[in-house]
Amino acid sequence: MVDDDRERGRTRWNDDGERGRTRWNDDRERDRTRWDDGLIARRAAEKAAVAEEKAPAGPREEDALPPLGGSFGGPLRNRLDALHELVGLSRTRVESEALAEAGRVLDEAAARQRLSSRHTVIAVAGATGSGKSTLFNALAGVPVSETGLRRPTTSAPIALSWSDGSAGLLDRLAIPSRLRRRPLAGGAGDADLQGLVLVDLPDHDSAVTAHRDQVDRVLGLVDAVIWVVDPEKYADAALHERYLRPLAGHAEVTFVVLNQIDRLGTEAADLVLDDLRRLLDEDGVALGEHGEPGATVLAVSALTGEGVPELRETVARFVQERTAPERRLAADVDAAAARLRQAYVAEGRHGLDERARDAFTDRLAVAVGAQAAGEAAERVWRRGAIRACGTPWLRLYRWYERMRAHGATDPRLEVPVEDELTARQRVEQAVRIVADEASRGLPVPWAQAVREAAVRGAEGLPEALDELTVSLGDPAARPPRPAWWPAAVLAQAVMTLLQVFGALWLVGQILGVVEPGLLPPVLVMLGGIIGGPLVEWACEGAVKGPARRYGQEAERRLREAAAACGRARVLDPVAAELMRYREVREQYATVVGSRPPASRIIIGGGGGGRSGTSRLGATRAGARAR
Amino acid sequence: MVTLDERPQLIDALSALRDRVAAVRLPLPLPDTPRARQTRTELLAQLDDYLVPRLKDPDAPLLAVVGGSTGAGKSTLVNSLVGRRVSEAGVLRPTTRTPVLVCHPEDHHWFAGLRVLPQLTRVWLPQADEDHPVDEPAPEENALRVETASSLPRGLALLDAPDIDSLVVENRLLAAELICAADVWVMVTTASRYADAVPWHLLRTAKEYDVTLVTVLDRVPHQVIGEVSRQYAALLDKAGLGHVPRFTIPELPESACGGSGLLPESAVAELRGWLAHRGQDPAARQQAADRTASGIIDSLDTRLPELAGAVAAQYAAAVRLGGVVEAAYREQGKRVRRELGRGAVLAGDARTRWRAYPRDSTSEELLDALTESLAALLHCAVSAAEEHVRDAWRREPASEPLGPPGGGADREAVERIGMEARRWRRELEELAEDEVRGIDRPSGSRLSGSRSSRSSGAVPEPDTVAALLATSLLGGRRARAAGERLAELLGAQTALRLRDKGGELVLSYVDRVLHAERDRRLAPLDALDVTPEPQAELIAALSVLQKEK
Repeated sequence: MVDDDRERGRTRWNDDGERGRTRWNDDRERDRTRWDDGLIARRAAEKAAVAEEKAPAGPREEDALPPLGGSFGGPLRNRLDALHELVGLSRTRVESEALAEAGRVLDEAAARQRLSSRHTVIAVAGATGSGKSTLFNALAGVPVSETGLRRPTTSAPIALSWSDGSAGLLDRLAIPSRLRRRPLAGGAGDADLQGLVLVDLPDHDSAVTAHRDQVDRVLGLVDAVIWVVDPEKYADAALHERYLRPLAGHAEVTFVVLNQIDRLGTEAADLVLDDLRRLLDEDGVALGEHGEPGATVLAVSALTGEGVPELRETVARFVQERTAPERRLAADVDAAAARLRQAYVAEGRHGLDERARDAFTDRLAVAVGAQAAGEAAERVWRRGAIRACGTPWLRLYRWYERMRAHGATDPRLEVPVEDELTARQRVEQAVRIVADEASRGLPVPWAQAVREAAVRGAEGLPEALDELTVSLGDPAARPPRPAWWPAAVLAQAVMTLLQVFGALWLVGQILGVVEPGLLPPVLVMLGGIIGGPLVEWACEGAVKGPARRYGQEAERRLREAAAACGRARVLDPVAAELMRYREVREQYATVVGSRPPASRIIIGGGGGGRSGTSRLGATRAGARAR
Repeated sequence: MVTLDERPQLIDALSALRDRVAAVRLPLPLPDTPRARQTRTELLAQLDDYLVPRLKDPDAPLLAVVGGSTGAGKSTLVNSLVGRRVSEAGVLRPTTRTPVLVCHPEDHHWFAGLRVLPQLTRVWLPQADEDHPVDEPAPEENALRVETASSLPRGLALLDAPDIDSLVVENRLLAAELICAADVWVMVTTASRYADAVPWHLLRTAKEYDVTLVTVLDRVPHQVIGEVSRQYAALLDKAGLGHVPRFTIPELPESACGGSGLLPESAVAELRGWLAHRGQDPAARQQAADRTASGIIDSLDTRLPELAGAVAAQYAAAVRLGGVVEAAYREQGKRVRRELGRGAVLAGDARTRWRAYPRDSTSEELLDALTESLAALLHCAVSAAEEHVRDAWRREPASEPLGPPGGGADREAVERIGMEARRWRRELEELAEDEVRGIDRPSGSRLSGSRSSRSSGAVPEPDTVAALLATSLLGGRRARAAGERLAELLGAQTALRLRDKGGELVLSYVDRVLHAERDRRLAPLDALDVTPEPQAELIAALSVLQKEK
């Protein structure tokens, strides 16, 4: 007995709730990494396979025969390709652990595909004392595996192959040749079981943890599993929580065999079988009843032989279908997809809508001060126009006022040359908000990628906006003049001249140079005096519209320039990132994809997508239930 | 060594310790937390259900808890020991959902009250006789069925616990709790199970706590009984449990066929004898109870520091989480000051307004723009801090119960900050108004010099003063002109005083906003009230206990 002090140090009270659960969680964490692991074993197996290809005997036969099952059929092929794409596309984005598992699934698929497709590797797994080895022997027809009362009995996996050519497969499982057996008469007697490779596993629940490691390793590599349970242990938490629930997606390649029914009465056996079905259902394992794909549940007694022929027949049918490797890999892909789901699918709508883009450009416009600049331009323009058209006397007064208020200098000249015209904090905030908007509804890694893209784009954005503002120039600096301006100035000048003329006329009359006649000069002068402000007033009215247009034009130019800058630097990279996500999302959809049940693949595939997704749902439900 | 005479000081020390353990809160989900929570529950269960009642009443009957994996035949064993069906047995797993306690009728009062297992409600069922087994009661949460049987010796009670590794989580927890309350642990395993990992963990725990332990190897087929029990003995020996009494019960049709029957007297006689001896012989009884009690008290020496360590880890995590928030906001506070000094607020809109002031924009507009710009700066700082916190907390699993960080972009934060900015503006305007009113008063003599008298000739508009003041405060270096003009309007000293006051006002508002947002972020963490005291208190209570024992 292996003393597992480490285990003990970690958890003493593993039998009770929380901590026990944690331990299982830990285990599951380890299982996840270990499930499909065995890198060394795999490497060894591949090397061995290469070596054996050079050897003259078995493998050549294996090579010579065309693979009967063919390489995996269309749907699985597509899904595997999509998974490959997915891994490639998201290597830099998604946390590596989840992807590593997907990579392992791909590796496994490739490794399994290279090996014989005529064979179906089925593992016999179960708790200590459930009678795995007895059942194994019953199926073999000869005592191959040692049975005994010593617990645990079997300590290393033993393989039994009914036909030749399975060496590569067994190498992959790292089963040494001394543990490879043949059934009675080399298995030739069982035509039905040709192609079956049965592997007797050690227990998974004994105090010898090395056994569990073995089981976990082999379970990741075989095509199907027969779980052997007994009336005493069929409800063990260790079995359900550690294996059946995580492997619920693999229901189609799972057999659950209730052994030792000789210890129960018929009625009790039925009761127990029903209860077992209920527990499996709670685990999320689909049951293969009424022709639906799913796990097969049988009751046997390996000791008395009751039910063994049925099991044998079921297994034979299963083996002759030769779809187990494919179904298993499909389930693996399902599991990998379910694990990756968090990284690719999130609730809610994603993407940048028009409103968010507009809000972003609005914020940038505020940051460069577009509105204020427009208003300033409008006012400067208007003031300039009114001043130009104003009466000279008023202009003189205003000049005096200004002199008095600000001294001789123009206040605008005092403003020093400024850097950082753009409000940095507003740009930063705008980018942050648009990044948040864009990453809303995205899975975490992609949200992060979008945010990073936005932040990267925003580097240098304020400087670019500064430059832009400078290059567009201050619209208030030198406003253009409208076409009617000279006419207005002329009219104003005429009015002034009329005043002067009228005044001169009057002066002339007073001096007696000109004939007296008070009315005409007064009228002329009055006309000038009234006309001047009148022209100014008219101009003021006329200037309003063009001034507003000018201001709006200035605002629009600045706003559009800022928007273009922001679009190029921030929105486009963000959109590209979103595009990439969409692409990956599509690949993921293909990976999850339709999963036609194997029975229909033979007929020609198609359909059955719902069963695949519902299976996935069941897996998830099982995962959640944990 | 503890003797089971009444020891008031020891009981006091244990009660104090119990309160300390009960006061431990482990709200943050750290990697070790589930385990620490379990330790806490277990400690409470042992103190409440076993140690304190046992020390208070040394004469109470011994409680033997029958525990084991599912399907080990615990209920059948209890039924057989009692001699009638008290606990329902069957082929469907898990069988026992409500624990059943069986005792002698005269011992009933010990268990009827809430002396032990106070959290379980007692359920009584009408006495069932051999011919009319009791109908299955409706399963009740947290219930304990108390049965009496005169076939049981006085001074001994049997408790049939649910599976220790049940698929039903509540059963698992309950089983652990029940086992904690036992004077004698009766571990049942079977011929096909004796190498399972789960019961061995329990056995190791039993060894660690040095409790009085009996193992029963149940359901051993007749033909292999010698072999299996030898194997089992070897395993026990190897685990250092060779001295533990072992009882072997062969698999009999009574236990197999639906488990409805009772095992024959002969099969359980030995075990019953052993248990009865423990219950009746004062010395044996004393020894059994004593050993378990002192074993558990000794085990506190290692388990309490473990719990204290978890408490310390909680506190450390809380400090770490809070530290991230504080640091982020401190950083942003520094940044805001830096930006204010650089005049970053006077950019964009505000800058344009300022350049057009006073000819093309009004004081009102300038103030509006400045206020908005200040709010934008503050909002930006808060968002940046929140972003930092979010990124840092995402890496901390302990931050889970604190809710998702809001990212600072939420509307409410914008409103809160905008409100503070407007309040600041109002206060600034009031400040300017006060100052202008001060000038209005006949104190013109103070303002001498041609420029001052020229400026003060017309009393400046409060609006203008406020706008200039705000510009000079927020514009930094860029707004030197504003400061100069303010000095022209009000006189150098007044302007300087005003600027000092205004500067304080700005900084106080900046701090106020940042602190308010920081406190808002810290509120859920503060609400958890994770303090370092429980750790010290636990250790202190433990040392008191160590002195007493």
